[in-house]
Amino acid sequence: MKRRTLALLLLPLALAAGMVAHAHNAICSCFENDDGTVTCEGGFSDGGKAVGVPLQVLDQAGKVLVEGVMDKESSFKFNRPKVAFRVKFNAGEGHIITIDGRDIEK
Amino acid sequence: MKNKILPGVLLAALAATTAQAHFQLLYTPEAALKESAAVPLALVFSHPFDSGFTMDMGKPEAFYVISQRGDAAPKTTDLMQYLEPIKWAGADSKGAAYIAHPPRSVTRSLGDYTYVLRPAPYYEKSEDKYIQQITKTMVNIGGLPGGWDEPLKLPVEIVPLDKPYANWVGGVFRAVVMSGGKPVPHAEIEIEYLNHEPQIDARQFDPAAKATAPQESFSTLSIRADAMGQVIIGLPKAGWWGICALNLDDHLKYKGKELSLDAVLWVKATDMSR
Repeated sequence: MKRRTLALLLLPLALAAGMVAHAHNAICSCFENDDGTVTCEGGFSDGGKAVGVPLQVLDQAGKVLVEGVMDKESSFKFNRPKVAFRVKFNAGEGHIITIDGRDIEK
Repeated sequence: MKNKILPGVLLAALAATTAQAHFQLLYTPEAALKESAAVPLALVFSHPFDSGFTMDMGKPEAFYVISQRGDAAPKTTDLMQYLEPIKWAGADSKGAAYIAHPPRSVTRSLGDYTYVLRPAPYYEKSEDKYIQQITKTMVNIGGLPGGWDEPLKLPVEIVPLDKPYANWVGGVFRAVVMSGGKPVPHAEIEIEYLNHEPQIDARQFDPAAKATAPQESFSTLSIRADAMGQVIIGLPKAGWWGICALNLDDHLKYKGKELSLDAVLWVKATDMSR
């Protein structure tokens, strides 16, 4: 209950600060769905949501293939690229997570 | 309550040479997974400290997992379809048990996973009564917490005050014993160390013990919850520790016999190392 209230209070602040307000570890994990799409889920080690955190899908040269932000469920879905790719979850300095597409399984 | 305790103590004294705690195991090797993986499970009704008599389990009444990522809505996944009846070997006996291999898709998301087992009541001939131990084991994926501290509205349960999957050896673990959603003051508790590591593929307990009890009182540690129903245990060795709260509902019957409705929670302790 207390945690929820706190999260609600902090959320607008965190959004305003571009999601750099967290003093906790960022966590992101991706998996492939049956329909060939990929879902990435994010959050923080205190249970905090990753709503609004930007996420990019990049090819080997660093070109952006897909980009967006984590939705209200702290997740982001995209079509699996045909080429080699990596996912960059960017919750601010010290909270950037990169996941190699080869590690994303069903 | 008081009337109940005295005969219990007398019985225990009479049966002192064979005093062992029945413990419902809901075992998986790892409690804190770095990333999503399939989580294998073994459901065995045994005496885990000495790998003693393995009791025959009937088909569970319920077996499911409640998962929660952060403070998102919890999700319940039924696991009955994955139950595989097997024979499980203890040190000196084999008993009917179950293993389950739910696919990775069940544990694909980050967060807390609370496995809940409601076994069939077991008839304990020596006490002419039935025992049913509603058991919880928690697993976390990726370090993102979920609803580990929430009661699950079970008839009886042990509700953690510390994450059951994140404990260093030498630490303490706290929990509250609940029946019908209310704490149970001075609840009778038994603690056992899972001394013979289960080997799911071999369907047996590791014959080698990790620790030796100097005397019978150490195989099953008997304690009481405090006046608030809170239990605090130390975790002196790495591995799984079982906490069982006994006979939490005084008036239950099953097939005309007394039914002891117990709650079990498994806690994992992890060594600090480089």
